[in-house]
Amino acid sequence: MDKRLIGKRVVRNEDPRLLTGQAQYVDDVNLPNMAHAAMFRSEYAHARIRSIDVSKARAHSGVIAVYTAEDMGADCYPGPPLVSPPPTVKDVIFNSRRQVPLVKDKIRHAGEIIAVVIAETRYIAEDALDLIEIEYEPLPVVADIEKALEPNSPLVHDDLDSNLAAHLVQKKGDYESARASADVIIQRRFTIERGTAAAMENRGIVAQWDAKSEALTVWDTTQAPIPIRNGLAARLGLSESKVRVIAPFIGGGFGPKIMMFYSEEMLVPWLAIKLNRPVKWIEDRRENFYATTQERGQVHEVEMAFTRDGKILGIKDDFIHDTGAYDPYGLTTPLNTQSHVMGGYDIPNFTSEFRVAFTNKTIVTPMRGAGRPHGIYVIERMMDIAAKELGIDRVEIRRRNLIKPDAFPYEHGIIDQAFAPLIFDSGNYEAVLNETLKAVGYEKFIKEEQPRYRAEGRRVGIGVLPFIETTGVGPYEGARVTVEASGKIAVATGVGTQGQGHFTSFAQVVAEQLGVDVTDVRITTGDSAHFNWGTGTFASRGAVVAGNAMHAAATMVRKKILKLASKVLNAPEEELELEDGMVRVADIPQSSISLSDLAALANPLRGAVEPGTEPGLEATAYYGPQYGPTAFGVHAMIAEIDPETMMIKILRYVVTEDCGTILNPLILEGQIHGGVALGLGNAYYEKLHFDENAQLLNASFMDYLLVGSTEMPRIEVHHLETRSPLNELGTKGVGEAGAIPVPALFAQTMEDALYDYNLEIRETPLNPNRLFEIARKEKTA
Amino acid sequence: MKLSGEYVFDGPREEVWKLVRDPEVLMKCMPGTQTVNKISDSEFTGEVTVRIGPFAGVFAGRVIISDEVPPQSCTLTIEGTGKIGFLQGVGAIEMTELEGQKTLMKYSGEAQIGGKVASVGQRLFDTVSKSMMKQGLDTLNGFLKSNAA
Amino acid sequence: MEATTQKIELSVTVNGTRYERAIEPRMLLSDFLRHEIELTGTHVGCEHGVCGACSVLMDGEPVRSCLMFAVQTQGREIVTVEGLGTVDALSPVQQAFHEAHGLQCGFCTPGILTTVTAFLETNPNPSEEEVREAISGNLCRCTGYQHIVDAVLLAAKKKQAS
Repeated sequence: MDKRLIGKRVVRNEDPRLLTGQAQYVDDVNLPNMAHAAMFRSEYAHARIRSIDVSKARAHSGVIAVYTAEDMGADCYPGPPLVSPPPTVKDVIFNSRRQVPLVKDKIRHAGEIIAVVIAETRYIAEDALDLIEIEYEPLPVVADIEKALEPNSPLVHDDLDSNLAAHLVQKKGDYESARASADVIIQRRFTIERGTAAAMENRGIVAQWDAKSEALTVWDTTQAPIPIRNGLAARLGLSESKVRVIAPFIGGGFGPKIMMFYSEEMLVPWLAIKLNRPVKWIEDRRENFYATTQERGQVHEVEMAFTRDGKILGIKDDFIHDTGAYDPYGLTTPLNTQSHVMGGYDIPNFTSEFRVAFTNKTIVTPMRGAGRPHGIYVIERMMDIAAKELGIDRVEIRRRNLIKPDAFPYEHGIIDQAFAPLIFDSGNYEAVLNETLKAVGYEKFIKEEQPRYRAEGRRVGIGVLPFIETTGVGPYEGARVTVEASGKIAVATGVGTQGQGHFTSFAQVVAEQLGVDVTDVRITTGDSAHFNWGTGTFASRGAVVAGNAMHAAATMVRKKILKLASKVLNAPEEELELEDGMVRVADIPQSSISLSDLAALANPLRGAVEPGTEPGLEATAYYGPQYGPTAFGVHAMIAEIDPETMMIKILRYVVTEDCGTILNPLILEGQIHGGVALGLGNAYYEKLHFDENAQLLNASFMDYLLVGSTEMPRIEVHHLETRSPLNELGTKGVGEAGAIPVPALFAQTMEDALYDYNLEIRETPLNPNRLFEIARKEKTA
Repeated sequence: MKLSGEYVFDGPREEVWKLVRDPEVLMKCMPGTQTVNKISDSEFTGEVTVRIGPFAGVFAGRVIISDEVPPQSCTLTIEGTGKIGFLQGVGAIEMTELEGQKTLMKYSGEAQIGGKVASVGQRLFDTVSKSMMKQGLDTLNGFLKSNAA
Repeated sequence: MEATTQKIELSVTVNGTRYERAIEPRMLLSDFLRHEIELTGTHVGCEHGVCGACSVLMDGEPVRSCLMFAVQTQGREIVTVEGLGTVDALSPVQQAFHEAHGLQCGFCTPGILTTVTAFLETNPNPSEEEVREAISGNLCRCTGYQHIVDAVLLAAKKKQAS
């Protein structure tokens, strides 16, 4: 019998509860005597508060309290810096400015919280918001990232000389001499605009204070419950052991839910203690558009040096990154962009300089893709432009530059988002490309199908491009595996879960080691009372970092089981096998013991546990990579466009993914489908429209268009598995992969479909209207 | 957000000007106007109920008239705040005499909006503001004609 | 504001159980279900009727519970996700979603399950295109819809076989 569980299409353990409405999300927490908070937010993006009067709101029937920054006093100070600037890079500038629970004097983006109302019901709390009287002094607004860095710009932070939040240069080789020896130099400018993650569940926090035991319990829609626990304890002057943070089922994360210490996260637990009552705050969708972090805004000025036969000699990329009003998340996103601007190519010379700008917009923190789509957009657009200028087929020019299988580990000589050296651990890039070309029928399409379409007057284009994804970064995660007296396995880890199937893929890893059913492994994630070491779910790292910690802990428990069973069954460990929840002596099936009985023996009520051994069949292990593994993939798309309406129909969408060892192909495919859907949104539907005063003009799902079931094509997913040598399981992350190459691929496909328009797309996201404008301009140019 | 247009009144320019400068008349013309108070010859405050899509609310506002060249042109600075957002705008009005006792009014302005009006209502704001403008000017023209009659 | 605090007697059947409550007329059906009678399986994603997460069945028809006042359900029969099946006895639609991995974070799922349950009653043998059309009023941010579509097609097959 095949005992392997890793790699099987196992259906999910967590489904039954989710499918029947029994899974608990934060807003499902209803506590006795619970009060409800509503936030009074700024309508201006940049303004001084002249005066605020909350007396009428306070007097309103059913209102428990109203707090402003002044009422909060000394407790109203900024959140902690989450990620420091890289210590290893010379001359880095980083001006750390963080959000506060309540704004006292100056508003820096629309949606900042000025006051909070706590009432008996949310309805009453919102009624009372209307009774707050405020007078603003509007200030000139910093809305554009390039203008933000001009010398005469208004300042987001008055104590700084400019809106420069950070500046960093990374170099590899010598770009200038590469340029001097190049046959062709290509320069372009690319603009990438903001979108929002739009998890279906908005954020929310419930906090409960038990004054008698001085214990705080917080339910939080966070991807990082342990750091929230630690930070709250420090902030509120409590022992970490007295603060329990639970991230229950989370309705989608996609990055913004790891922005540790949102204003509300500092505020709601403080209120619960202050009022000695449970307090609930649930974000509404309009708040989510303003107050939940966003991502994607960058402007790139790029130059690439090529030989005549299409070999890349070097890249020089200068870009500005929009961080919004504050920069709590450090440089993660622009560093990721830097790591991805070289794509999966062998590039000897590289200079990248970025400046991060403060603007009067919502804070920017990583969102699924997290700077990577920007890098891939830039390099892959440049490759398309180079292919055209050099007269080389776009697949061929890529093939010539992909990193060769024998070049791994491939060291870039710069640092990544985790400040570790950017090293691509392993891969077989050209094989993934070939697999995709075969699957999509590239040759046949180009030679036979496309000419036929064109003869019929139909504009059908094909796009193919590769991408990398750096994944699974440190610092570490941990797991504890316990064989319980019931014979079931209890597992706890610190990472939160937002739909990635952790209850199943982690269970597969553990079950395979311990010879039990996947359904007999019960995973607890994101509850600091169960496991209180860890960082969080981000950077496509769950399966890699927590997964390998699981594996390590399960391996240790397996050893304990074998050691004890060997004694009990009087047989050498090598002859024992774990199967069906039993330990058996191979070939003597009647000589066996159940894990349940063994667990009882390991934790006896009488007798003595031998010196040098621990009670129970339990182990805790940690995994921390030196640097993260890098996954690779190729996406291909065939799409038809109507040049009159610019409406598109995607006829084929093929993905080949190499993320190392696959834990569960069913879950993996789901991750890719969802990623592609977000990527398509980023390419053609989703854009946050800010006006010149940084007012968001499409803060609802009526105007901000998420991709729906009728826009999505069927996605064909193929796999190659190049095991990562960096970890025991051989896994690489894949959570963000689906989203990364889509905007670049979409642009390439549209240029190919609209072949007679001589298009060159240099911006994302597009939409039908915008594409029509560009096409018309280029055609008449 | 830009707003511009023109309107032809069925009356002489002097008459139109008189009406435009009369707060009592303006209050009747502007749809949803609850009150108008004259602070000075060139400054008025008031309250207007506005409905934009799913939102309705009272805006407390102030209008300041400047650069006045009677009966030809002036600049209007408008400020309004309410529970559903805020509006600030500067607009220019220019009137020219046409043949047959008619007057052409050209207006152009730029408004900044914020709050719910902007984030959820902007798609409708353009249409709503245009229709309010049209309604107001039609009413004004009605006064003009009945005064003349 | 005074008028809104005047409570109204509501009698409504939810998942076969009759509930009688005095509630404010402005209370949304979604809030009534989630917080008044504590059936928290119905989720609220946008509060403006676009995302479909809050869909429940009223007399067998899908409705957006965030766009209705609870008092509008006087004397009606509501079915929420909790009324479709249980952890130990999933409905054919729920079972199909489990087998086809038709959910990830699970937040939009209750609204999709109720919508699909009603859809398969009227169209027991749908094409893929019809399925995509049927769920086009439900937003999902995790799955890219493919496994949801697969699940609905599988559910149709299961229901026909049974």
